Parts: sequence; C-alpha cells; structure tokens
Amino acid sequence: MPEPLSPLTNKTVAGHFGAGDAHGVTLGTRRVSSLWQIAGWGDFEAVAKPVLTSLGLSGLGCFRHAQQLGAVTVWRIAPDKILLEGVRDLAAAASEELMVLDLGHTRTAITVEGSASRDLLAQVIAIDTAPAAFGPGEFLQTGIHHVGVLIHCTGPDRFDILVPCTWAETIWEVLFDNALPHGLTIEEAA
Amino acid sequence: MIRIKCPICGLRNETEFTYGEDANVNRPSMDEQGVQPWVDFVFNRDNPRGWHKEYWHHVQGCRQWVVLERNTLTHEIGNCELARDAKLPPSQASEAAE
Repeated sequence: MPEPLSPLTNKTVAGHFGAGDAHGVTLGTRRVSSLWQIAGWGDFEAVAKPVLTSLGLSGLGCFRHAQQLGAVTVWRIAPDKILLEGVRDLAAAASEELMVLDLGHTRTAITVEGSASRDLLAQVIAIDTAPAAFGPGEFLQTGIHHVGVLIHCTGPDRFDILVPCTWAETIWEVLFDNALPHGLTIEEAA
Repeated sequence: MIRIKCPICGLRNETEFTYGEDANVNRPSMDEQGVQPWVDFVFNRDNPRGWHKEYWHHVQGCRQWVVLERNTLTHEIGNCELARDAKLPPSQASEAAE
C-alpha cells in the first residue's frame, strides 16, 4: 500500500530561524489519519446519530467545541456536516440520506506551539485568539491568506491547523514568515 | 469593514464571506407565461436606500448561505440567519412546501 507523503516534506527543515535566541513559536506537521466527512439533508441528526453512537459519541456536538474520545476527534463544521479524524473506514455507513466522504488525502495538519503561538495566529486571522476567547478544545473555521482552514486549539498554547493539501505550502510560508519575529523552531517532519 | 455575525461561527469579518444576491427577489411561478415577470426576475432589481436583505455565503467558514440584513445607506448590519431558516418570498416558500 503506498505511503502518503506530506506536501510539506520539503518545507519542514529542522532548525531555528528568525529573532535571536527567542523560541516563541514551534511549527511542525502531523500525519492526518483517516479523516472522514459525513453530511446529510433534512433530518441529519437521525441518520448521523447511529454512526456517532457506534463510535462511542453521544451526540452531534456543537459548532465551537470539538468532541474528543480517545484517538477520535469530531468537529461539527456545519448544521448537516461533521468531520471525523481517527475513525475506522466509514464507507459502509453511506446511504441515500447520509453522504460519507474519505477526506484523508485532502488535508494536511500544521502544528503551532509555543508562548507566542497566539500572537502568530492573531497576525494571520481576524479573530480573537486570547485564551479566554479561544481555549483548549475549541475550534474555528476561518481563512488564512484567503484559504479556508480549520484551527483546533489542542492545548493552552498549541494548535492544529487543518489546511487543504494543495495550499499547504502557501499556508506554511505565511506562518513561517509571520513567526520569524517571535523566534521560530521547526520540528522534524512527522 | 463589515462584521457579520454568522449563526454558526459567530462574529466574523466580511472578507470571509462572498456576496450572493438580493434575497427579496420573488421568482415567478414555473407556469408563468408572461415575459415581463421573467424579465423582472432575471434582470430588474430595486436599488433601495436603507435596510435590505441579501444572500451571503460564508465561504471561508461554515460554508453556509445566510440571509443578512444590511443598511445600504449606513452599512449597518442587522439580523443574520441561515438561509434555510429564513422566511422566503411567497412563491419560493410555496414551492419549497410542495
């Protein structure tokens, strides 16, 4: 079975860049494992709930907080649309009422971490990134460099950014350039 | 800069949205035989001074269509709701109910 390569393989050159000895931001990537989208029409809750229940989840969730259960992360990205990572093959759950899409090959995850990570995000998105407004477990969908992304706050100063693979290099370069004044560390590619 | 309170994502900059069209347009019945109602539907629009309902697409967010009230005179933003929940003009509402 072919092993998918990250579109950022050539970008993630480990090292320290930018301002002096500062280490405000660490950029990295992580492998996106089995990303699926389920979507529906009409009574979405009735058709989606059996799938979610089989994964041990109790409901559809909300538009602001991700659901986390072990290795499974669930984002309700629209009223009738849910993104799931770390789940089994969901193709068998497809029906006329429930659209199931394997998106595992379409997204790259960029990780942003460090004491200045919120400052970096504030430079590239027009949304309040203060801890009180965007805390661990919360997510938002917005645009970086006019590219639609999903940002998930996974820790006090740690974020995963799901970006379309075809725009991953561009987003990486935007984050890289904006992180330089904070002192940037690049991690080895995941 | 307009700031729009998306019902799903919360308060966001206008740059995350794309303008769709006038939300007050009333499509003629599909069995309408007259030319003028179709000409009005396709080509003619009012140019109101004041509050106006518009379709916008949250293309860099939840990708939902919303109906937004905007004051064309002051750029003031009023209510914003999902298009699926919005009250449709009479002919479209009756068609949706069929």
